[in-house]
Amino acid sequence: MDQETKRGLTLIAPPLLYALALLAGPLLAIFLFSFWTQDYLTIDRTPTLANYAEALTDPIYRTIMLRSLWISGAVTIATVVLAFPVAYYVSFRVAPSRKSLWLFLITIPFWTSYLLRIFLWKVILGYNGVINSLLEPINPWIVALGQRLGLEWDGLAAPLYSPEAVIITLSHAFAPFAILPIFVALEKIDRNLLEAARDLGENAVTTFFRVTLPLAMPGVVAALLIVFIPTVGDYVTPALVGGPNGLMIANMIQTQFLGLNNAPMGATLAVVAMVLVTIIALATVALARRLSGGR
Amino acid sequence: MTEPLIRLQGIQKYYGDYHALRGVDLDIRAGEFFSLLGPSGCGKTTLLRVIAGFEGVTEGTVMIGGTDMTRLSPNRRPTNMVFQSYAIFPHLTVAQNVGFGLRKRSDLNRQAKDTLVDDALDMVGLDGYGKRAAHALSGGQRQRVALARALVLRPKVLLLDEPLSALDRKMREQMQVELIRLQRQVGITFILVTHDQEEALVMSDRIAVMFEGEIAQLAEAEALYRRPVSRRVAEFIGVMNFLPATVDGDVVDAAGLGKMVVQDLQSTATTAGDPMVGFRPETATLLFPGQQTEGRVAEGRVVEVVYYGDMTYYDVTLDGAEKPVRISMRNVFGRPVLDIGTQARLAWSPGAITLFR
Repeated sequence: MDQETKRGLTLIAPPLLYALALLAGPLLAIFLFSFWTQDYLTIDRTPTLANYAEALTDPIYRTIMLRSLWISGAVTIATVVLAFPVAYYVSFRVAPSRKSLWLFLITIPFWTSYLLRIFLWKVILGYNGVINSLLEPINPWIVALGQRLGLEWDGLAAPLYSPEAVIITLSHAFAPFAILPIFVALEKIDRNLLEAARDLGENAVTTFFRVTLPLAMPGVVAALLIVFIPTVGDYVTPALVGGPNGLMIANMIQTQFLGLNNAPMGATLAVVAMVLVTIIALATVALARRLSGGR
Repeated sequence: MTEPLIRLQGIQKYYGDYHALRGVDLDIRAGEFFSLLGPSGCGKTTLLRVIAGFEGVTEGTVMIGGTDMTRLSPNRRPTNMVFQSYAIFPHLTVAQNVGFGLRKRSDLNRQAKDTLVDDALDMVGLDGYGKRAAHALSGGQRQRVALARALVLRPKVLLLDEPLSALDRKMREQMQVELIRLQRQVGITFILVTHDQEEALVMSDRIAVMFEGEIAQLAEAEALYRRPVSRRVAEFIGVMNFLPATVDGDVVDAAGLGKMVVQDLQSTATTAGDPMVGFRPETATLLFPGQQTEGRVAEGRVVEVVYYGDMTYYDVTLDGAEKPVRISMRNVFGRPVLDIGTQARLAWSPGAITLFR
């Protein structure tokens, strides 16, 4: 071992130990637990795949797992679609001297606790909340219109305690995470390329689809992953605004660990969720690679 | 004369308070190689971008092919541009880059487009490069792709924004020759923006020299070099020796050279300062001991000798002048190179002198 290798190892030792103790260790424990079973108050340490069989066949787990995936998918798409115009505006329309101010403003939601923001959405979406109070005077009109058309309408109501509420809340919470990578990708685009496209006969719209969007794809893919991966495992938002139909896999994992005292089953669900997220993330990257011409 | 291909009339351009173009009038003929030459910040690139449609004008009209295109966007003008940075699309292959502008040509099928792309690559010497990724090209190759991409559309005008400035000297000289050849081959009007006077002289049919948003002189290369209209143009194009002079009626008395008559001079031009006469280094000759001449002779002392192999540059302080003048001499076989400190005789002719007053 030469001097340089030694110095390198010494330098990375503290974070390495830290990562091993706090990340690899617990992960390994979860992985081990997933092959054990709960026998009332004790844990049966004989390795078995029984938990995995149950996790993949029991309709409850399957429903909640699939729901987690589609809610996260919807959150991801909503967030990225809404984030793109914001990132585009800041990158292309805001004067260079004001860009950092705009980025600073985009992080405003982070100035207050995640929990507080969820409670704010409860106020907005709640039974007597902001949206419903606004809808109150116009709902009779909508009901009347429904009767005219021969439809049974109850009028409009805010979707608290539903998957939709989870989607709205999470999309808002993750917006900056999507805006920033897309902004960075757009900033890197040489503006001459856009002029070249115009010069070669494309109008503003076709230039966007032939040049801007393909070149922004790395940022878009990063945004998709950055939003999708953590939201699949989000636990607080579905617990607070999701209601019974909005619960996600993390809530079930928590129930297994704490409520049902079945740590092995919770660990199995965690591993299954992790594997699924990994597969979807890899597939997204592979798809994006293929679409952008294999770079 | 036939209608010019491009007619710019009274072009004014402001960026806020900054007056970038101050009333430019310019006619460019079909099929000519035209250069906009000037120091950085003179407005030459802005003028090119006005022709391309990337910049609007505050005042004035842009006519291309007899049609007013002042308000038309770049994609609707019969012009194509080679950008200084080449602007090659990094996410596309070479062939996709060259074929980028052909997408809208619904009159061509895929095969015809491929043929056009291949021909264009062939024309710029990149045959067989079509499948390569654009981001893996060298500077010279990117430049050729940019040229092919613009020429494949057969524009009426090809606009070149300092296309050679990023290349090394050898590559640049090679590309200059190639650009001239290409221009003759395709017969398209080329408009070149450059700050390099040598490049402009080598390549262009006509040159517009710009200072501070105005055209200072518009002339063919030789006329520009030999008869600059002002001291500023004379200094910008090539090297010129200046000697202070006094003018009394038709008689000019220049320090070191003596008296001459205005009518004998090559040209007169303007200057913001005191009257001067100027001549190019190659228009005067150092005489060697014993050499005779029938022309006029001035005496001086050699103060500097710079040997270039084929040429030698001498700095000679003429008797009666303060600053030395530079004389370039071809090194003919058998003629010695003079030493520093030699007393020398300079043969010169009023016919090569420009008076600045």
